[in-house]
Amino acid sequence: MQTFVLGGTPLAKGGTAAAQETTMEDAVNTITTILVFGIAYAMLLFIISVGLSITMGLMGFVNLAHGTFAMVGGYLTVKLVVPVGVPYLAALVIAFIAVAALGAVMELLLYRRLYNRPELDQVLLTIGIVFASVALVTFVWGNNPQNIQLPPILTGDLDLGFKRIPVYRAFMIGAGAVIAAALFYGLERTRIGAQIRAAVDNRRMAQSCGINTARLFTLTFALGSGMAAIGGGLGIQIVGGLKPVFAFEYLVLFLIVVAVGGLGNIRGTFFAALLLGIIDFAGKYFLPEGGSFFIYLVTFVVLLWRPQGLFGRA
Amino acid sequence: MSQPALETRDLHKAFGALVVANDIDFALQPGARHAIIGPNGAGKTTFVNLITGVLKPDSGHVLLGGKDITALAQAERVKRGIARTFQINTLFGGLTVLENLYLAVSEHMGVAGLMFRPAGARPDVVAEAVRLMEMLKLGDDARTTIAELPYGRQRLVEIAIALALEPKVLLLDEPAAGVPSAESHILLDAVAGLPPEVAVLIIEHDMDVVFRFAHSITVLVSGAVLITGTPDEIADNAEVRAVYLGEQARG
Amino acid sequence: MPSQQHAGLNTAAAQDLMRGHRFRWYEVLPWVIAIAVFFAFPGYRLLATQILVMIMFALSLDLIVGYAGIVSLGHTAFFGTGAYTAALLANNGWGEPLSALLAAAVMAAILGVISGWIILRTHGLTLLMLTMAFSIMLYELAKDLDVIKIGGEEVTFTGGFDGINFSNDAILGLFEFDAVWYGVNYWYALVILFAGFLVIRTIVHAPFGRALIGIRENVDRMHAVGSPVFRRKLVVYVISAAIAGVAGAIFVQVQGNITIGVYEFELAGNVLIMIILGGTGRLYGAFIGATVFTILENFTEHVLGTDPPYWELTVGLTLVLTVLFAPRGLLGIFESVFASRSGRTAGRTA
Repeated sequence: MQTFVLGGTPLAKGGTAAAQETTMEDAVNTITTILVFGIAYAMLLFIISVGLSITMGLMGFVNLAHGTFAMVGGYLTVKLVVPVGVPYLAALVIAFIAVAALGAVMELLLYRRLYNRPELDQVLLTIGIVFASVALVTFVWGNNPQNIQLPPILTGDLDLGFKRIPVYRAFMIGAGAVIAAALFYGLERTRIGAQIRAAVDNRRMAQSCGINTARLFTLTFALGSGMAAIGGGLGIQIVGGLKPVFAFEYLVLFLIVVAVGGLGNIRGTFFAALLLGIIDFAGKYFLPEGGSFFIYLVTFVVLLWRPQGLFGRA
Repeated sequence: MSQPALETRDLHKAFGALVVANDIDFALQPGARHAIIGPNGAGKTTFVNLITGVLKPDSGHVLLGGKDITALAQAERVKRGIARTFQINTLFGGLTVLENLYLAVSEHMGVAGLMFRPAGARPDVVAEAVRLMEMLKLGDDARTTIAELPYGRQRLVEIAIALALEPKVLLLDEPAAGVPSAESHILLDAVAGLPPEVAVLIIEHDMDVVFRFAHSITVLVSGAVLITGTPDEIADNAEVRAVYLGEQARG
Repeated sequence: MPSQQHAGLNTAAAQDLMRGHRFRWYEVLPWVIAIAVFFAFPGYRLLATQILVMIMFALSLDLIVGYAGIVSLGHTAFFGTGAYTAALLANNGWGEPLSALLAAAVMAAILGVISGWIILRTHGLTLLMLTMAFSIMLYELAKDLDVIKIGGEEVTFTGGFDGINFSNDAILGLFEFDAVWYGVNYWYALVILFAGFLVIRTIVHAPFGRALIGIRENVDRMHAVGSPVFRRKLVVYVISAAIAGVAGAIFVQVQGNITIGVYEFELAGNVLIMIILGGTGRLYGAFIGATVFTILENFTEHVLGTDPPYWELTVGLTLVLTVLFAPRGLLGIFESVFASRSGRTAGRTA
């Protein structure tokens, strides 16, 4: 369902009769490729999904429109970089701010009304938002895959000695790690972070402790949406061109990452993204026909064993 | 003397460092009219949750009529004869009073699994639901949805559902809470009208209700039994009074 | 005391319960309309047949979503499996259509047992997720199995995106499928829909159906009255799967063609939208929702075109507005108007 483009990796594994030494080399090569590309992909999933995990754990709200924020963030990035010429990283920051604001507005106007409504209503409202947003973006910017030219520092290869890896993938891995660390620090060390953790743990108790959960919701939702926007901007290359249906196509993937990791925690999302990102990449690498099957299998197995997710609370 | 209707042995449950049930040994005889009292956070509702199977204990046993039910799921325990009311009304909000009772009765009478005959094919189920409704003076509200019913009357529906299950052991969690005092006699009359072998355990803060209803009382503090005795013994006990000194006057 | 019992049963409330299953006069309307449409709109029979299939699919989904409260975005798993069962049977030598329907129901039901056994232990997002993941997994599987190797030779299996064409024998040896004028096709779908509807209606008015509503309204309370909740959910899930499977089978049989679109996620979303549009938990909501949705979709796409995506925009906005302002769907609006006139409280019971 998702078209998967690997941006320059050799897909086929070497199949000719090889001497023992080259087989060893091949193996190291293959493993490195899978790890580098897989982890970079995983970081992308993490950056987009972490916001969804926190807001779902915090607000208990099923938000299927999360992919929309990623998609819109991606489009904003493209439209700032290509016609306007804004530097890539600056465009990401602008997209973050814009989409975070959009998220805050939507939370206040729409989502807030449905907190006590049955889950079905939440599902349908957010599906409606996805449909409408995909259509609107198509209206405005059309259907064709959008691409950007990466800034020179992010192009080319990095020489690790035994292998050359694309700088951009290394950048993704670095960005993901930094963001994960920052979020973790933010949650564990700041007062707001403590409030969020308290509210995720027990909303009613947190309220009776004087925490303004309503404001917390808006803030967290805005943050989560902004993060998704950054992910959307970062992922343009990795998904092989941004299209409006991205909001739909990758939705399942984000939901899977969140469900497997466990709602409301960063660590869970991180490890679930790693697990699923690497497995998805490896699956498609080894079996271009049918490789996408594996993440669903893994999801089933994990959720069968632990329905609350790997790090979720029972 | 036959065995206890309900028994717990060394029932233990902790959430991390917080021990909510501390090796509780407890026995409820058939026909008992027993109350559990204790300060807030003593673990009274937790105890009921452990007995009914909503919570799984870390160790210990729950026995019903001498048989170990610790491993059984909640619904299975109900089938064996335990019924409870919840501290906060747990009813079918969008359904009418009669429909609420109908569900309880049809499950109890083993009719709820019928798929290919209409509800009307079993008038005995409907009749029983009507009977219960009228016993708790809810007849006028038969067609009112729970959401539209005043809280106190909802509480009566809560009791009616428990009674519909014809239990051997009835656990009432603060049944009078929220019921206007003018109507609380309806509740007590219904309980008084139960067959004598039914063991009734009540959690209550309202000392008036406790002393009117209970033949024996257990005081629970911090997840452990402080003392069990007759109402007079409890009322006179210095330790009990000390435990309650920190509490606001109740009842 | 018998006389007291009977007196109690005479009250309006008791009569509601006793007589809820009786047919009301207006229940004949959808069928009258269905018959009339055949003659009144001969040029639209293909569309009308599709609507009938969608109604059946929507009914099966309403059984689990509207009655039992199991929110699924993966019911296409069963629709598609039923479809492929029927198509592959016909494509590989077994052209008898009615037995293919039975096979489709059985296959879908088996799948329902397997997936339900796992999925129904969860709830909320996890459950929703698993339903999605399961049906998308089947989509991918069907896509990858478009061509398979048998004995060294490549044979078309599912046909993937392009799909496969096939044909069925005449129904009961008498009625040939007609992919041009759609005469027999329409009646075939209508008769099966009617049969399926009767099954669902019976279940819903039985004590079992009421128990499903209880599970939806307050599952904690159901546990606390001794209801074997998991078992009930599994049973209704399997029945719903079987009916969806039959709907899928009819869908492809009347067209003589199948593509992996029968497993598409968009279809799963669409059918969920149909029941919210019409109104969940009230059988006729599925009729209204499926009809309105399909007609609107066709109209928008034919008149306004698919590019730009007016239809997606309309659906999206309609959904948002429906959820915000008309959560009980079109049927709910109708009922509110009707109830406010007769002074009764409109409830979500049947």
